[in-house]
Amino acid sequence: MKNYITKYKFGICAIALSLVFPSCEIEDIPDPNNPTIESVLENAGIPSLNNLVTGTEAAMRIDIGTYYDDVGVVGREYYRFSGADPRFTSDLLGAGNAVLDNNTFYTTRPWNARYRAVKNANILIASANNTNQITEQQKQGYLGFAKTIKAHQLLMNLTLMNENGIRVNVDDPENLGPVVDRAAALTAIAGLLDEAQAHLQGAGETFPFSLSSGYEDLVNTDPKDPFGPDDFLEFNRALAARVAVYRENFSGALQALQGSFLELNTNFNKGVYYTFSDASGDIVNPLFIGRNAKGELRLAHPSFVADATPGDDRLSKVALRDEPATQSGLTSRYDITVFSSNTDPVPIIRNEELILIYAEAKIQTGALLDAVSALNIIRTGHGLLPYSGLVTKDALITEMLRQRRYSLFFEGHRWIDLRRYNRLGQLPIDRPGDDVWVSFPIPFNEGI
Amino acid sequence: MKNFYLIRLLLLLLMMVPMVLYAQTTVRGTVTDAGKGIPLPGVSVVVVGTTQGTTTDAEGRYSIQLPTASGKLTFSYLGFVSQTVDVTPAVDVLNIELKERLTNLSEVVITGLATTVKRTNAANAVSSLNTREITGITTPQTVDGAISGKLVGANIVANSGAPGGGMAMKLRGITSIFGNAQPLFVVDGIIIDNSSISAGLNAVTNAAGGGSSSNQDNASNRIADINPADIESIEVLKGASAAAIYGSLASAGVVIITTKRGAVGKTLVDFSQDIGITRIANTLGMRTYTEERVRKSFGAAAVPLFLEAQQQNRFIDYEDELYGNTGLLLNSRLNVSGGTEKTRFFVGGLIQDEEGIVEKTGYEKKSIRFNLDHILSDRFDFSLTSNYINSESDRGLTNNDNAGVSFGVALSSTPSFIDLRPNADGVYPENPFAGSNFLQTRDLITNREATDRFLGGLTLNTQLQRGETSNTRLVIRGGLDFYNLRTTAIFPSVLQFQIKGPSATQGASIQGNAFNLNTNYAAFIVNNLSLADNNLTFTSTLGATRENFNQNQILNVATRLIGDQTNLDQSGAVSVSQNRLITRNKGLFFQEEINYRDRIIATAGLRLDKSSDNADVNEFQAFPKASLAVNLANFDFWQMEAINLFKLRVAYGQSGGFPPFGAKYTSFVPFNTGGLPGLIPAVQRGNDEIKQERQKELEAGLDVSLWGDKIIFEGTVYNKTVTDLILFQNVPGSSGFTTRVVNGGELRNRGVELALNTIPFETPSIKWNSRISYWLNRSEITELNVPAFPLGAFGTTLGTFFIEEGESATQIKGIRGDQGVVKLGDAQPDFQMNFHNFITVKQNLTFSFLLHWKKGGDNINLTELLTDLGGTSPDFDDDDDGDGVTNAQERINALGNSAEPFVQDATYLRLREIGLYYDLPEPAIRNIFGSIVRNLKVGVSANNVFVITDYRGYDPEVSNFGANGLSTGVDVTPFPASRRMFFHFMIGF
Repeated sequence: MKNYITKYKFGICAIALSLVFPSCEIEDIPDPNNPTIESVLENAGIPSLNNLVTGTEAAMRIDIGTYYDDVGVVGREYYRFSGADPRFTSDLLGAGNAVLDNNTFYTTRPWNARYRAVKNANILIASANNTNQITEQQKQGYLGFAKTIKAHQLLMNLTLMNENGIRVNVDDPENLGPVVDRAAALTAIAGLLDEAQAHLQGAGETFPFSLSSGYEDLVNTDPKDPFGPDDFLEFNRALAARVAVYRENFSGALQALQGSFLELNTNFNKGVYYTFSDASGDIVNPLFIGRNAKGELRLAHPSFVADATPGDDRLSKVALRDEPATQSGLTSRYDITVFSSNTDPVPIIRNEELILIYAEAKIQTGALLDAVSALNIIRTGHGLLPYSGLVTKDALITEMLRQRRYSLFFEGHRWIDLRRYNRLGQLPIDRPGDDVWVSFPIPFNEGI
Repeated sequence: MKNFYLIRLLLLLLMMVPMVLYAQTTVRGTVTDAGKGIPLPGVSVVVVGTTQGTTTDAEGRYSIQLPTASGKLTFSYLGFVSQTVDVTPAVDVLNIELKERLTNLSEVVITGLATTVKRTNAANAVSSLNTREITGITTPQTVDGAISGKLVGANIVANSGAPGGGMAMKLRGITSIFGNAQPLFVVDGIIIDNSSISAGLNAVTNAAGGGSSSNQDNASNRIADINPADIESIEVLKGASAAAIYGSLASAGVVIITTKRGAVGKTLVDFSQDIGITRIANTLGMRTYTEERVRKSFGAAAVPLFLEAQQQNRFIDYEDELYGNTGLLLNSRLNVSGGTEKTRFFVGGLIQDEEGIVEKTGYEKKSIRFNLDHILSDRFDFSLTSNYINSESDRGLTNNDNAGVSFGVALSSTPSFIDLRPNADGVYPENPFAGSNFLQTRDLITNREATDRFLGGLTLNTQLQRGETSNTRLVIRGGLDFYNLRTTAIFPSVLQFQIKGPSATQGASIQGNAFNLNTNYAAFIVNNLSLADNNLTFTSTLGATRENFNQNQILNVATRLIGDQTNLDQSGAVSVSQNRLITRNKGLFFQEEINYRDRIIATAGLRLDKSSDNADVNEFQAFPKASLAVNLANFDFWQMEAINLFKLRVAYGQSGGFPPFGAKYTSFVPFNTGGLPGLIPAVQRGNDEIKQERQKELEAGLDVSLWGDKIIFEGTVYNKTVTDLILFQNVPGSSGFTTRVVNGGELRNRGVELALNTIPFETPSIKWNSRISYWLNRSEITELNVPAFPLGAFGTTLGTFFIEEGESATQIKGIRGDQGVVKLGDAQPDFQMNFHNFITVKQNLTFSFLLHWKKGGDNINLTELLTDLGGTSPDFDDDDDGDGVTNAQERINALGNSAEPFVQDATYLRLREIGLYYDLPEPAIRNIFGSIVRNLKVGVSANNVFVITDYRGYDPEVSNFGANGLSTGVDVTPFPASRRMFFHFMIGF
């Protein structure tokens, strides 16, 4: 056996081995695309916490188009026609034998999106509680913000699930809390808002973070008093008032309204909004569809116009199309024109709702004349004559729900309002066999 | 001709060994093809019992000295039956005619990373395709198209008919649900990337809800870049028992592509030109309207439009208008190859320009390949592979969308009585029945993938030691695959859906840039040891491998475009996303092959791998393999002369599949509002314990060859299980996450593969080669540690895949009335068969065809549902079951109540390829062109000539979700399949 190995070959071998074995270890590559959640959980600085604040605010908008389609279509406020997805006109309206599915986008997407925002808020809470880079007041500010938003997001899911309930305690993905019923969930949400109130009261004069222009209505005109915890608290109390009427705690609602941004005048649009832009990393208003669009449509339910009082300026929320649109036996001639561009903000809660909550709470606590005057702010503010009907609790409830229908059109209230008053039977049925759903099913993946 | 090249190289090396001269005989002669009579260059001529040999030159001539006065010479040539001839001192001229072999039983198959074994000795059923099978019948557009329907044990589904390809390939069933389900592609030792990269169309189509990137964009696979005509052979390692040598990259099998290389001798110049046309393969038709039907489907407002059309007799077949283009197909190829004993080269050039069946779509490719082999000295030689590709495909706008903008979705609700054609000023009318005017969309949009790609590979062989019984070589191999993919999707602001509708952004320019760099290195030491008088040979391999994968995708979405500008900065808003993938793998490899006189061949190997994709990056994963083949016919006791091969074989192996990139991270993703930077948790929860899934495959088989390979039967059964199955567990949404990657189950595939090669008919003037194959696979989820979950498609209302313990991995479930969610079908075919035929008449006329039958296997057909809902289905008003309710109404009624009508049997019988070629006889060529022209061939061919199917869609081969995982077979207004017809002209100098 002759050995041919030469120095030259050793060289080649060395090159070969050096190519293959520069080191036997492989480096653990950190996520090249994104920061990890662990990176903020310990001793996070203000910039990191502020990213979470903005993220939480931004996450509130995920899939709200689907949320509005759910409550708007089931509540017969509008039709959602889609050339691509038939389930808006079948499942949501209960066409024929169709029922709501627990694993279809209209159930899962809004649910997942709201809990994603809740997760963000929970991470913010955990991070703010586990850092010594912020002052106690700053911490209270973060906690007040996070818990308020968390409460709002849980409430959104509860409005869909209704009696089916929601999970409230979702901190630990390995050990999620139970699904609690509607009453318990509302109690927990109210409790969260109250906790947030306490945090905000201890948060000093300013927040260490900024929010989008969706909160600018809450800023006082005094330039020396910039947006701060006291302003945000008005939003917190507005939500608390909404939750209180949902809980039929009407005196509580009146109390909450006192701390809110309620103004008993026609400054209807003062409020808190989701904002949109087409800037990088942002999204545009998913509810906007241009006039006379084809294919993908949101069209006012014909009854919105048919039932309206002539002269009501809220009819400007819809506009006659050049041509009616028809799908699956449904026809409408009206586009929804609440939004005029894809960067228009979408209200979370605004003064007009607060006035109506005020009216509702007054009716329910027997102060009927206060209620009438509040309802008249709405009526006259929209070009109608003052209320001239019976001043009884029942008649005023009917009037209040009617004003809510027109004032809060396309804001996701009608279905919930009629459900609260057991009046879902009043919703129009367009096709024989259609159903009006009372609750959405708990998503399949929850394993309930 | 890599395999052949290795043999020859060895022979050349052997020739250089100094030899003691004894009494010698010199023999010379010419080797020719027994059929055509043309000389065969490169035939190896070996003196039996010695290491002495030579090869024939370009004219088929050889000359060899025998060390003794008499002896035996063996003439062998790939694809031909070897001959051994006695030589006596009296013989000094010996002309040999070699007969073409039916199949390549003598070819070698790759069993190690640096070693090969003769097919007759292989313990695995390795499917392989040669040039004739790949490109010999017709001209495929892309490589994936070239292997469709041809491989036993593979289920290959074209995603659509869009120019530029796009295929899902599954070998021996589904091997991964969320991990890598596509095989590894290796070209000349270069591990190449086969990504499908989204063009960001989702920003316009909204097919997957929000975001710009989705898997419903009908992207092509990057394997499409390889020029099929450069390929010498394709070998497919279908399961772990064969593919274990590729370790953790090989869970879905390995496709090994070997490109053409030069041969010693005269420089050969081959030019070929294809001219063809392409047409839609199958149309669905349009609905016929009456006033009543229009009123019912489109409302009273549409009636005047209908009456106007009726008056003018202007009903437009929009299917024909949109998909009825006759595309011109042009392919020009020039190959130059040749070489001396030291240096051989192959240059392959391609210019391909193909139009699609939709106007303004098409595929263009330019490819240049340069392969070089050089022998530096008797100890060193190297092989270089290099390939530059520039490809461009215009793919239109098809598949699912939620905005009414894709061609098919808009077409599905557009009746024939409106006129969408532009007026004299070029203004397109608005489509009142859909979100877009698809004629306008087709004419004005751009959706282009453009690639520049370079593949380079170098193999350096070094003879470390050479002796009587042992020789050792070092093989060093490096491979590089770089490409830059540019996706350009332009939606001008004048489009109907850019003016109004949910995706109206006053124009959108979506431009993506993806850079991909894969490098792989390997070094092996291979020792061949012969003992016991050459009766026992050992081949030992020890090696190390390293793979680096880097991908960087940037996607820009610019909206509110300024005028008709398309540059990203000529816009009102730009959003950007970036995604990087970085993987580092290292492996060690050992293999021992033992061959006892070609009677018993045993192999054992082990690969150790680690990867940055695993949670524990430095833990070695071990992938063992072992196999045994027994050639009974080679034993002395074997008396049946008729049976020249009777081989029993069994093989076992393991391979792995990496978790999807990023599975271990729980991360934030950016999400901004109010101009402030925000972070939200990604929907995927990380798993810091994630590990590779592991495939264990046992296969056994029987190969029998009768009457000198006139009939060859190959039968294989296999059982492969995938443990630690990687699953995207759908976690409760209330956790804030929606998915998590877990190792949570076990999947089993069992199957049978049978192939019969025959020569049913052979006379001097007619020869018919035929191969018939049959294969089936049954999968089952044998263990599932997460709750059963739906996957892919669009939920149980419309039918969805459903992963459930004890059920087929590809079952389709959906709602059915009061029964709730029940199994409605299975995407897995009952079986598949193909029938490959080559008929040669008088050695000049070749007729060949490939029939492919897929029996069973269901699709989820939502195209039909969309046309029903849009009031345009061709059978809308028919009543097939005569119950008084029309077909469309029945299907619409089922919506929300039963998904059964949407789950449809996708059985088909397809004449995939057919070709007829005429080789001008050599005397005729000589008469006309003298000695300048070597050969001249003309032919005609076609693919997709017919598809017999009951499936009510454009093609039963379809996939809205691309090649991804198991969601193939979902049909949402795809780019229709096409038929291609060619005239071919080939000339060789």
